[in-house]
Parts: sequence; C-alpha cells; structure tokens
Amino acid sequence: MKKIPVIFIYLILYTYSAVSQDYYVYTTAESEDEVALIKFDGKKAEAIKRIPVGVWPAEIEGPHGITVSPDGKFWYLTMAHGNPYGTLYKFSTETNEVVGQTTLGLFPATMQISKATGFLYCVNFNLHGDMVPSTVSVVDPETMTEIKQITTGAMPHGSRISPDGLKHYSVAMMSGELFEIDAISLQVSRVLNLDDAIKSMAKDHANMDHSKMDHSQMDHSKMEHENDKMKGHKMVHSNIKPTWVIPHPDGKKVYVAGNGSNEILEVDLGKWMVTKRFPGDKGPYNVEVTPDGNKMIVTYKSAGSTGVWDLNTGKEVARIKNNRRVSHGIAISPDSRYAFVSIEGIGGEPGSVDVLDLEALKIIDTAEIGKQAGGIYFWKIEHDN
Amino acid sequence: MKYLRPLILHTLSLLILSLLPLGARLQAQENIEIKIATKDLKMNVNETKTISAFVVDSDGNKVEGRKIMYYSSDGKAFEIDSLGVLKSHRPGIHNLIIISPDPDGKFLRKDVPIKIKFPPLAKVAIKDVPDKVYAGSTIPLDISIFDELEMEREDLSAVVSSSDRKIAVIDKFYNLTALKPGKVAITASIEGISGKVNVNISENPVRKINLTVDRDEARTGDVLRFKATAVDKNGKVVKDALIMYTFEGQAYDVSSSASGLIRQDGRFVADEAGLYTITASAGGYATRKAVEIEKRNVKRKIELVGKGIVGDKHTSDFWIWEGIDGKDYGVTGTWGADGTAYFWDVTNPANITKIDSVQVDARTVNDVKVSEDGKICVISREGASNRKNGIVILDVTNPRDVQIISTFTENLTGGVHNLFIYKDHVYALSAGQKYYVINIKDPGNPAIVGKFELDTPHHAIHDVWVDDGIAYSSNWSDGIQLVDVGNGIAGGSPENPVQFASYAYPSGANHATFPFKSKSADKFYVIGGDEIFPYGLNVNGPNVAGGFLHFIDFTDLKNPDEIARFEVPGAGSHNYWVDGETLYVAFYNGGVRVVDISGELMGDLYKQGREIAFILPSDPDGYIPNSPFTWGAQLHKGHIFYSDWNSGLWSAKLEPETPSDTKLESR
Repeated sequence: MKKIPVIFIYLILYTYSAVSQDYYVYTTAESEDEVALIKFDGKKAEAIKRIPVGVWPAEIEGPHGITVSPDGKFWYLTMAHGNPYGTLYKFSTETNEVVGQTTLGLFPATMQISKATGFLYCVNFNLHGDMVPSTVSVVDPETMTEIKQITTGAMPHGSRISPDGLKHYSVAMMSGELFEIDAISLQVSRVLNLDDAIKSMAKDHANMDHSKMDHSQMDHSKMEHENDKMKGHKMVHSNIKPTWVIPHPDGKKVYVAGNGSNEILEVDLGKWMVTKRFPGDKGPYNVEVTPDGNKMIVTYKSAGSTGVWDLNTGKEVARIKNNRRVSHGIAISPDSRYAFVSIEGIGGEPGSVDVLDLEALKIIDTAEIGKQAGGIYFWKIEHDN
Repeated sequence: MKYLRPLILHTLSLLILSLLPLGARLQAQENIEIKIATKDLKMNVNETKTISAFVVDSDGNKVEGRKIMYYSSDGKAFEIDSLGVLKSHRPGIHNLIIISPDPDGKFLRKDVPIKIKFPPLAKVAIKDVPDKVYAGSTIPLDISIFDELEMEREDLSAVVSSSDRKIAVIDKFYNLTALKPGKVAITASIEGISGKVNVNISENPVRKINLTVDRDEARTGDVLRFKATAVDKNGKVVKDALIMYTFEGQAYDVSSSASGLIRQDGRFVADEAGLYTITASAGGYATRKAVEIEKRNVKRKIELVGKGIVGDKHTSDFWIWEGIDGKDYGVTGTWGADGTAYFWDVTNPANITKIDSVQVDARTVNDVKVSEDGKICVISREGASNRKNGIVILDVTNPRDVQIISTFTENLTGGVHNLFIYKDHVYALSAGQKYYVINIKDPGNPAIVGKFELDTPHHAIHDVWVDDGIAYSSNWSDGIQLVDVGNGIAGGSPENPVQFASYAYPSGANHATFPFKSKSADKFYVIGGDEIFPYGLNVNGPNVAGGFLHFIDFTDLKNPDEIARFEVPGAGSHNYWVDGETLYVAFYNGGVRVVDISGELMGDLYKQGREIAFILPSDPDGYIPNSPFTWGAQLHKGHIFYSDWNSGLWSAKLEPETPSDTKLESR
C-alpha cells in the first residue's frame, strides 16, 4: 500500500519535469500597422513573428482590436481607419495570411466571439468627429458578413461576452453607459447610466430591486439616437468615461474601468446596479478577470502601471509599474498564471508586452514590438515534452 | 507546492478524460442537427414567407428545448425576424443563417441558400437613335433591358437584328451600319421581350469633305484643331453628316510608333516627331491632310543645389516660405516616427540648415503648412498616444525659436492626414472622412466654423487644397470635389462650404488635387493625382510606386473632361506644384519631374516629350540610403525645393530656358 503514494508523487514529478509550457498571444501595434505574435516560455517573452497589416501603406490604418476564434484556427483584427469605415480582417493562425474581410463601422475596435452563437461582436468606437451614438457590429465570421449594427452609445468600447455566450457587454465612453445586448436576438436588453448609478449608490438606493425592471422587453435598437432631433443637442460627457467592461467568470457581475473617475466599478447583473467601487491608480483602461475568478487585472493607462486585485478580499495586492508609458490591454493565460499587458509607449518609442507573474506579482519579461501596442488576445498554450 | 497544484489538476483531468469512452465525450451533440421544414425556398422580390426550422436527432425526431434563430447575411437582400418571417428585397442567391445557440459552445448552425428570383423582364429600350441616318454611316446603338420593377439588367444582352440586312446591318457591339437608303426595323429581343425602332436611312448627300487645320507644323504635345465640313453636290454644307476622324503616321525615329490621340471634335496631338495624316470620313467619302510634327525640345538641365539630410527617420510633407525677416525658411514633417517637425533656414538653398524642431505627441506629422503672412505654421498629428490627434498651431515668427501656440483636437481625434491654411482658416481633414474649417484668427483659440462631407456610401477624403476661395478636395473614388469656401461662385463661405463641381475617374485613386488656370490655352484645368503602391510599401527599404496625374478640363464646370495624363513608367505620382505653366511633381521613386504644361493639353504628356527635367534625391546618409522616394515639390524664388521620404529636404535649380530662336537640334 505504501507504494501507491510514492508512485503518484513520482508520476507528478515526472510530469512536471517533462512538461514545459509555451504561451502565445497576439498583439497589435496600432501606429506600426503590424501585429506581433508573442511567445513566452515561462521565462522569456519574444515577438516570434511581426506581421504587417493594412492596405494603405503610406497611412496609419491603426490595427486596434484583436481576438482569436474559440478553436484557435483564426485571429481577427480590426483596422480602425478606413475610407472612412474600418475593416475586420480574418487571418489564419497557421499562415498568418488574410483569409477574409468585411467592412464595419467607424473605428471598429474591440471584439469577441460568442461560444453560444459563433458570431463576432465588435464595437465601432467612432473617434471620427461628432460624439454621436455609435454601434456594435455583429459579424458572421464564417462568411465574414456583417449581419447587423446595433446602436448603443457614444464611443463604445470594451466588447466582451458573458461566460455563457448569451450576452454582450460594452460601455460607451462619452455617454457613460453600460450596454447589455442579447447575443441571440441582437437587441439591446439593458442600459445602465453609470454616472447616475453611482449617484444612486451614494444615496443608498441599494434596497431597490432593479432586476424587476424588465428592460429586455424594451427595443433600444429602435432609439434613433442619430436622428435630426439629436443633432442640435450637446452630448453630455460622462465623468466616469468607462473604457472597458469584463464579465466575471461566474456570470453574475461585470467590472467596468472608470477611466475618468480612476476606479473600477462592479456591476451586479442581477440587481443591474453598481455594487462596489474599487479606487485605482490614474486612468484605468482595460480590465480582465483571471479564469479562476480570483483576480482582477487592471491597466492604469495614465499612470503606466498595472494593478492586481484579489477579488475575494477586494484588495489591490499589487500595483506594478510597467516598463514603458501608456499601459493598454490585458490577456490572461487560461491557467490564470500570467497576465500579458500591452504597453503603447509614446512617440517614437516601440510598443511592448510585459508578462506579469500573477503569483509572484512581478514582471518576468518584456517583449518589444511595433509602436503603440494595443489590442492583445491569448491564443494558446503549447506543451513541450 | 502552489505551482504544483494546477499541474496536478491538469494531469488528473487528462487521466480522467482519457478513461472516458469516446462516445460519452461526444455526447448526443454529434447526432443532432437543424432541419428546415419549409420546402420551397425560392421567392420573388417583395414576397413574404415564413421559414420554419427545428433541431432533430439522428432518428429525425424533434429535439425539444432548442431555440432557433434566423439571421440574414445581407439585410438589403432580405430581412428575417425571430419568428422566421422572411421578406425578400433583392434578386440573387443569398445566405440564410440558422443558429440554435448553446451556452456550452455546442451551437448548431445551418446555412441555407435563399433564391430570390429576378422579376420578369418588362422592356427592351433602344435609345438615342438619330432621326436621319445617311447610307454609309455607322452609328452605335444604346440598348437597355429593364425588369418589371424598372431595374436595369446590365448582366443581360439582347439579340439584335435588322429587318432588312440589305439596308442595314448591326454587329454584336450594337453598331448599326447603314448600307443603302430605305426603312429598316431594328429589333432587340430577350426572353420573349423585345424593343423595336424604325430607322430611316437616306441617300448620303455628301459628295466631298473639306478638311482644314489651324497649322501645318507643330511640336509633339501641341494640340492641332482639324475642322471637317461635309458638302453636297451643290457645295452646300451637310450639317448633320456624321464625320469620323482617324489618323495614321510615320515617326522619324524608325523604331518608334507614331502614336497620338485624335478626338471626334477634330483635335489631334502627336507623341512622336514624324509625318501624320489625318482622315475625315463620312458615308464613304473621305479627305486626308498631312502635318509634320517636330520634337518638342523642352529639355533643360537641372542641377542639385543643396540638401538637408534627415537620417534618423522618414520625412513627410514640407513647406517653404519667406519669413517676416525676409529670409527664407522651410518646415518638414516626419512619418512613422516620434512626432517631430523640423525647421530649416533655406535662404541660401545651397546651405540648407536645420535651425529648430518641435516634437508633439504623434507618430506621424504628415502635413505642415504656413500661413500667407509667414507667422503661423500648422502641423497635423496621427498616432497620438492619447488618440486625440488633431492639429498643433505654431508661432513661426522666429523660425529659430518656434513656439507652440495651441493644440486643437475637437472633432479631429481620429487623425489629421492633411490640412491647408487659407485666409485665417485651417482646412483640416478628420480621419479621412471629411474636413473641418477652423478659424485661427486668434490662434490661441481656434474654433470650428464649418465642415464639408460627402454623403455618398463609404465616402472618404485624402487631401484638401484651397486657392482663390475654392477648396479642391481629393476624395478617392468620389474623385475631385470643387467647393466654394469664399470665392462666390456658388455662394459659399468658410462657414458654409458649397460644392459646385466634381469629377471622379475609374481607378478611384484620387489622392491629391491642384488647380491650373492655363493662360496660353485659356482653359481651367484641375490636376488630380493618384497614389498607388502596387508592390506594397517597405518602410525599411527601397520601394516602387505607381499611378499618374489626370488632367481634367473644368472650363465647362458642368461637363468636366479628362483630357490628358502625365505618367512616368516605373514610378508613381504623389504631391505637386504648378508655377506659371510649369508643373513640378514628385513621383516617389522617380524623383522630381519638371513638366511643360503650356498650351492646350491632350493625351499622354510624358510620351509627348513635355518633361523638361528630372532629378533623383539620393544620399548615403539618408534614413534609407541611396533610395529616392520623393514626397512633394515646391518652387520658391526660382529654386525647386523637394522633400524625400527617405532622406529629407533638397533644393535644385533648373537651367535657364534656351531662347526660342535657338535651334537645339534638327532631324
């Protein structure tokens, strides 16, 4: 009987010694018109491929958002600038060659594919002039056709899907709204004005049951935000300036980056209200939650740092200075072990990706890529024997 | 141990998975699918039909609890709601996507082709047939096919026939040739629908054609005007005779083609020196006239004068101006770098000296312009770290100590690629979509006062240039737009820009525009330039560009006429400048080309030998060494200044023109 634990330990040690893991992430370089494939072997991170993207060589087309299909066979890239509409490109992860494309709205930015429908949902950030309500494009990635544009708020960003794939969340940076879209009916199901929600929170309206408000029956897509009546109105700019929203893996709450208010907001999806505020460093921009649900990673764009929060205690356990200025996006490995943080840099500085060890709470290595590193998405783990 | 925990779990899960039977892992998921109940999926336009689908197992039994959703892959072709009610709009075969969603990622999908039939054909129209056709003439017919919804079917061709092939025949290109007098019916038919037109063919009264030309000798590139007059046996002019002009020639250089261009209004231009014969014909009668064409002989020497090398980054646009101290200065932008603009003393063009620089938050300072009074410089920003981009207004009263007055980003956050300053206003592009007019009378407090934007689908803009109160914008596939911003021709102003003329050419590559009022030809040309990179752009090495300049005769604003081109083989056009009747154009890897654009313009200006000179900037200390890639050119006080993407700012001087009575060469 004593042999059993010995064998088990031997098996574990053998596996540990025999298996090493390589992590791969794709990162955009927005002012270089380039995408970099980063490989991290647990110690060293390097750009093993730099892929030129775009069609107008003399102009900055701005690759901004990037995502990978759930099966890992394709990566998708939004090119922010177009004529004037931006473009969604589909690349093969095997060849890194373009295999499809379609035109979206103005300044298409972040996106994700729903595992429940297979569709891709992309916000059209629209930096191009008047701050009018913009849209979320729904794309069939099989045929690369845009199925629908759903009107939301001014400068929507942070396009993320709920863990069950049934809801899409985005925030409108200038109008300060959180939008929930039914990923199946492609209708806006709920809208939360975050500035108002914070005021309500301050007035201790926590006893109100907002879940009883059945917003799902409201057809927000029919709200003609862009009609002539709106044109004369001055857009009310949010103090929170939300730039990102990420659902928690438990599907019960989302976290919103308050870029203007230097905080992260927790929104309870059942109550549909702000339930917690996490004061952060200057300029929170992107937020991600580890797949195990225990940690929240926040880039503080203005401060040039990355925060690691323990969601069980609600404490920020580390605030790590990034190796360069303008911290941007986050990708977390599926084993919740590492966070890959894109750093834009300023002017002629190259962009870079800092790899954070989420256990040791420090930067392990930095990979340099093209200027203005932005969108970042985890591709795969490869096990080497 | 904390590092071992996930590894243990990972190993255990692998073990458990490997022990499970394969069938159990695949589950029933593999055996269910979406089935369509609706049988007939063919529809007519504007028809409504309910599509019904459900999930079935391998035995064909309906699986309960699976939601079905319907999506149109092209909402303009057909719409479908959540209940499967489909409304057809556009003919063709379109894709219906049916999804049965699943939160575990095992969604089902079925793609169904929906065939929307074209409406039945309704009409074949034969248009613009002249009342009278003379025997011996050939005229093209315009035949169109329409369906019941009055949509033209350009994808179909009608079968065309003549009722009497002895009187008139018609070829497959719809050219009708009248053979002899008589009445003939021309019928165009398709799918049982036909259109018919009766043509009266008359005896050709023409018995002679008189042909004159404004001169017998000319140079290559000179436009000769031939005038043919058809007369009958009594010498009376036959006004409605259809006269056709053709030419043949023999070049003096025996290995050259005697190429040229003749238009059906009688204008002719030759590319090569030689003897040319122009023929005017009408209904079997023809008259010929020969003309001798000499070489244009406009070549002049050009000499490199000075250079200010930028060796650590790409250089973009530039501007040369006379400062308020009477000296001459230049400003250059930078591309894909660190947001720097450089200022130069170019008073002595042989000694271009860098005197100051300004760095702003940007990766590319693509455009730089200076106000007419030499006091204000405005530079554009792209790739700003805060993505606000916009423009930066500089005080250049002392170019040795340039000061930032203000930064303006309102509505310009998507990036400013090009801009222009005209009478206290900046015309700044916004993210390639439109341009805003910004009042900078108080440069510390700029304010948007107007904007111009097209309303065409997918409209875009690349550049804007303002002259004499008219803004000339370059709008890619929407072509050249002429907008009154104070000229008065259309009642426009900076606050109320009014578009009054436009022209688009098929390539859709309109990247730059420059007006040219030709005194010698008494014509108003607008020069539209392409930007094309057929082989891509290597930012770290040499490149080859494509594209050319299009000369559009805008003398009749309502009927702009693309009449000439300047194309350099193996190189591509970028920015340019016209001074007097000389064009200075940057052709990227082809350097700077100096072109004689005097007189009336027609045809291929390069082939005609109108190029006066060219010069290639190349320097071993350039950012890309020894690799010309010229961005733009500008004439200033007799010197040609030009910026080069790979090497910086340059100056050159054209040798004086040889007196016209000096014979340079003879054949």
